[in-house]
Amino acid sequence: MLVTAVGSYPKIGPPAKAPSLRAAIHRLDAGQIDGQELRRIEDETTKEVIQQQVEAGLEMVTDGQVHWEDGQTYFARGIKGFAIHGLIRYFDTNTYYRQPVPEGKLEWQGPIAVEDYRLAVASSPRPVKAVITGPCTLARLSQSGCYGDVASLARELAQVLNKEALALQEAGAPLIQFDEPAIVKWKEDMALLEEVSHTVTRGLTTRTAIYTWFGDVASVAPDLFRLPYQVFGLDFVWGPANWGVLNHFPPEKELGLGIMDGRNTRIEPVEELVECIRRAARHVSLDRVHLSPSCGLDYLPRENAVKKLKRLSEAARRAREVLA
Amino acid sequence: MRSVLPTTSVGSFPKPDYITRARTALAQGKISPGELQELELKAVAHWVRIQEELDMDLLVDGEMYRGDMVTYFSEHMEGFAISGLVRSYGNRYYRKPVAVGPVGRRSAITVEWWKHTQALTKRPVKGMLTGPYTIADWSFNEYYNTREEFIMDLARLVREEARDLERAGAKYIQIDEPAVSTRPEEMDLASRALGVVTKGLGAFTVTHMCYGDFAKVFDQLTALPVDMLDLEMANAGYALLELFRGHPTDKYVSMGVLDVHDHRVEPVEEIVAGIRRGLEVFRPERLFIDPDCGLKTRTEEETVGKLRNMMAAVGRVRGELGGG
Repeated sequence: MLVTAVGSYPKIGPPAKAPSLRAAIHRLDAGQIDGQELRRIEDETTKEVIQQQVEAGLEMVTDGQVHWEDGQTYFARGIKGFAIHGLIRYFDTNTYYRQPVPEGKLEWQGPIAVEDYRLAVASSPRPVKAVITGPCTLARLSQSGCYGDVASLARELAQVLNKEALALQEAGAPLIQFDEPAIVKWKEDMALLEEVSHTVTRGLTTRTAIYTWFGDVASVAPDLFRLPYQVFGLDFVWGPANWGVLNHFPPEKELGLGIMDGRNTRIEPVEELVECIRRAARHVSLDRVHLSPSCGLDYLPRENAVKKLKRLSEAARRAREVLA
Repeated sequence: MRSVLPTTSVGSFPKPDYITRARTALAQGKISPGELQELELKAVAHWVRIQEELDMDLLVDGEMYRGDMVTYFSEHMEGFAISGLVRSYGNRYYRKPVAVGPVGRRSAITVEWWKHTQALTKRPVKGMLTGPYTIADWSFNEYYNTREEFIMDLARLVREEARDLERAGAKYIQIDEPAVSTRPEEMDLASRALGVVTKGLGAFTVTHMCYGDFAKVFDQLTALPVDMLDLEMANAGYALLELFRGHPTDKYVSMGVLDVHDHRVEPVEEIVAGIRRGLEVFRPERLFIDPDCGLKTRTEEETVGKLRNMMAAVGRVRGELGGG
């Protein structure tokens, strides 16, 4: 069992030693600092959030996505052809993102996330996974613009993001995770997701994961598990029907077991989490489980996120004792 | 109140700068709560005067004393704490209510404000409440075992508040449920909670929802236990009208004809066209006209400009109908 994060980490809040990122962005907006200075503070914050994840007991971390405005803009602004439009709600949360709109042919212009990935690796005593917003989800959360429809946009994005994935592989990423929460909401995209998954993972020899959240994949599960990824991340908090799909979880695959609510401050008792791990262990060998929160932690105040990650590690320790 | 195309507002109006400054000063301990309240009373009177000058029919107090439609209620209820900072988008953060115990109400929350506002005008003033589904959805929950328990407990509190408003003389009570539009599949739960609030009320009841994908839950939408549905229409190109076309409802509908996220003051002609579209589907005695949503994010100038054109458009259509 590997204790890990899904993606984002709260950018600000206690405990904090790095200079305030929030104040830095205000100063940037007011013209008092330049982009380079902001970048330096983001880098320091990245080091801090990696340290906090490690201290909380995570065995594989992410860079916390400190440099990401949101899961869509971060990639879209690095891809030629995208314009970034107005704010729009992210699924059913109270978090908003700026909606990308393709205004011309999309082209990969060079690595988007590699510099941030290298910084994270250099700052972390634990392995760091690389995260890419998947082509179906990025297409669904954008307007289709000059591509006309979601499928055409997703197919193009799969080509573009494949180049990004290859660059992250080149940078040494031991695991590349594709975020595809949109499949939970738009299950009719399953055939499209299958098609673009083959495109986006082409040439990858490193391990790959697909992560979903905010719901279940029950109605598409057998097809989903056939996709060319090693790890399948599921949200068992906001998608309890995911427990049912474990009955036919392929034994050669690995499970991302999202059992700690990333959208609520309540700290789950250890026993409750251990019970979830026990339940999963009936269907999936524990050495094939990536234990995590149900989603990224951007929806929580940082002080709650820290406590929750510590509790998750505690539950993992306890589960290893009692289920060994 | 006029019987043909009565006009109203959804709730909030922009706060004058002196309120924003005074709220900061209060937080810094530089002024007393009483001093802030003096200014809030002044601002309410200002907006009542504007609505009267515009010749609007059903008035609101403009929510000068509410920071946020959920936090305002949670701060005046028992069982709630307030969270650390959560990111909303970009560099914007807010604090979320947290249910930490059984929710309760010490005393009436909005009644004094309603009485004060009603005393300023001969026109009816709406009692304005946030609904149980929305309060729960926009809060963290560390106490209740299920969302449903949390929502139904809140419904009982909001009912008490609605009854207090009615006892004080309110003839119109609006219960806002904007969160429902983000999760239409929970319309049934929201409806049951709303039923608890409105049961036995003699007042004319309204619920406001933002634009959502209501096609699959249309029957539940029109069966909501209120007298009037207040719906965003203009910002979605009046798409919701198509759901009503061919499905007559005995509900009153209040149709939003001003996009509150647009800085532009819509020309009279454009609003007239929107109202005419509404009249293809609804009878003029059953159709209220209002902005899409609260106007608090617009400037006072934009707000008054938009409302003035809305009133001019309503006047023109009333003339065509031979009424008003």
